[in-house]
Amino acid sequence: MKHKLTGRVAGAIALATATALALTGCGGSSSSGSGSDTLKLVVADYGTGPDNASSKFWQGIVDDFEKANPDIKVKVTSIPWTNFDQQVQTMVQNKQFPDITEGDYFSNYAQDGLLYKASDVLSKPDNLLPAFKDQGSYNGEQYGMPWTTSSRTLFYNKKIFADAGISDAPKTWADLQADAAKIKAKGETGFGLPLGAEEAQAESLLWMLGAGGGYQTDGKYTIDSAANVTAFTFLKNLVKAGDTEPNPGTVNRTDLWQQFAQGKVGMINGSPALIPIIQKAGVLQDSDWASVPIVGQNGPLDTTLGVCDNVAAFNANGHQAQIKKFLDFAYQDKYQLAFDKEYDLLPATTSAADALASDPIFGPFLTALPKSIQYPSDTSWANVKTKIQQTIGTAVTGDPKQVLGQLQQTATSAS
Amino acid sequence: MASRTSPLRSIGRAATPLLWIGPAIALIAVVVLWPVVVMIQSSFQRIGGEGYVVGYNGLDNFRTLFHEPYLSGVLLRTLVWTVGVVVVTMLISLALAQLFNQRFPGRRVARWALIIPWACSVMMTALIFRWALDRSAGVINVFLHDLGLVKLGSNHADWLGNPHWAMFWMMLVAVFVSLPFSTYAILSGLQGIPGDVYEAASLDGATSWRSYRHVTLPLLRPAILVATLINIINVFNSFPIIWEMTKGGPGYQTSTTTTYMVAIKQGNVGESASLSVINFALVIVIVIVYLATTKWKEQVDA
Repeated sequence: MKHKLTGRVAGAIALATATALALTGCGGSSSSGSGSDTLKLVVADYGTGPDNASSKFWQGIVDDFEKANPDIKVKVTSIPWTNFDQQVQTMVQNKQFPDITEGDYFSNYAQDGLLYKASDVLSKPDNLLPAFKDQGSYNGEQYGMPWTTSSRTLFYNKKIFADAGISDAPKTWADLQADAAKIKAKGETGFGLPLGAEEAQAESLLWMLGAGGGYQTDGKYTIDSAANVTAFTFLKNLVKAGDTEPNPGTVNRTDLWQQFAQGKVGMINGSPALIPIIQKAGVLQDSDWASVPIVGQNGPLDTTLGVCDNVAAFNANGHQAQIKKFLDFAYQDKYQLAFDKEYDLLPATTSAADALASDPIFGPFLTALPKSIQYPSDTSWANVKTKIQQTIGTAVTGDPKQVLGQLQQTATSAS
Repeated sequence: MASRTSPLRSIGRAATPLLWIGPAIALIAVVVLWPVVVMIQSSFQRIGGEGYVVGYNGLDNFRTLFHEPYLSGVLLRTLVWTVGVVVVTMLISLALAQLFNQRFPGRRVARWALIIPWACSVMMTALIFRWALDRSAGVINVFLHDLGLVKLGSNHADWLGNPHWAMFWMMLVAVFVSLPFSTYAILSGLQGIPGDVYEAASLDGATSWRSYRHVTLPLLRPAILVATLINIINVFNSFPIIWEMTKGGPGYQTSTTTTYMVAIKQGNVGESASLSVINFALVIVIVIVYLATTKWKEQVDA
């Protein structure tokens, strides 16, 4: 009896309180019109297991945010990378729009008018690294907001260098070739050149940049430019001399990074993602390796390949004010740095990059980041990239000019 | 009286077989025919990088495909791959079947052992061979190294990195996994040959080689025919061996039409579908030509 009574009394009090709150407008606003103030945040999962799942990381930010803004709720959904694109597409097709996504970004959503501009949902859009602005822009307005980035440097094994009697890291292609030959004489792989299908487009671009080339010039494909042919002719000689692993066109990045971590490769181009692989292998101490700017034909490059993952804000649910509050909160330096520490990635805002610039491990990656070069972002790139991945490796065994020429033909006929 | 009930009854009688073959027809329609329709439809569609169907674009996919600089090489390689693997498989199978038809101690175990490559997933077999051919630690290379034939970690030891050697090893694996089926098909054919024909042959003074050529082989023709035909289709469409061992690379230099089709799908779904249509037509043509030249009807009916 007593139980029931207290229950009823409690219920009545709760009801009355709720009514009062609703009348005074304290119980969460209903001004957005959609009847719900829960933001739907959809993120890609960068984790390698339950311990460092991205849902856990984002929930941490959300808990802090909800404490500071009790009138806004945020629901985190994390999706494995392999399904991310497809699931976001399904949500959009079924008109169950998310409010915020973090992961791959598609310019066609901006084209369809589904997104808020960066300046609509961020108080300081200029703090986003300017190097990545073009990639997220449509018709001159930025929609894709970089959340995390990554760049490439040259990793070298100091132990192998010392054994081979090399004192300094290479600066020019000539240095690199001489060093690789000395390392090869010691029985290890001189330079690890992953031109297999997994990520040949990345390795290739680094060498093209080294000769002053690239995939595009002024938005037009120039894959068979003289500079690019120079780069692959150099690589062909390097391979012929045996200064790389055998048959680079069939070797993938993942395998070669493992071999570098095992101390079997003298030099290799890598990203921060190589660091945890080295640490996990447990063969090389932190002092046994170092990373320096990418080697160019005549000297170290002040640029490199940069990639980023983006935040996009959907306008279908009309939550502009709430999204802005949340994104301003999430883009604080401390969360940027925490995210990048957790997943060995790099920040995407100028202030966070400045804060990390003096870090001994991440510093070298950051110096080139503001001037980094991105992959092309036009609609034909997906097809061109596949062709590059599958065929560019044959340029170091066959005729570089012919292979690059065929790629150029694919690129120009596709667009 | 009888005429009033008979139409219904005759319909019922005519429909009874449907009851039995209906599920099979439905299964074939859904699992075999419908995908063929979708495949042909996709080959005329423009499909965006993210898998969206943009619309019809006539024969553009076929045009793009025929302009691929790698296509002729891929087609030629498919021919070498199919003919090579099938011929070698059939020759070895004929010999193996002959052996397994003899009485010898341990025959039962030997026959069982032959089933293993068949029972294992082809992908697994291909993976094992890929590892066994690893340039620095693969068991085949270690063995060859101990014999003094290759140097571990050398260019030569990187068999799968060299397109010609890669084709050789992959064809070897394809023969290995095709052997059990062909051998058993021929073995069952051998067991169907009555002993008295050999008796008659030996009475006529035929040597064993002559009686094999003039008695065994002709009587085996139906079994050889069926085994060859099924092998041709299987080997032509073979995907897991090449995909696991080289992914058709570098630069499609170890691709057959089947793996090339999957490789270009990543960039252009429509173009891939058009190659799929061509593959499908090729298989049908090969089968018709083969059946016509071997006059299969006389063989099987006889």
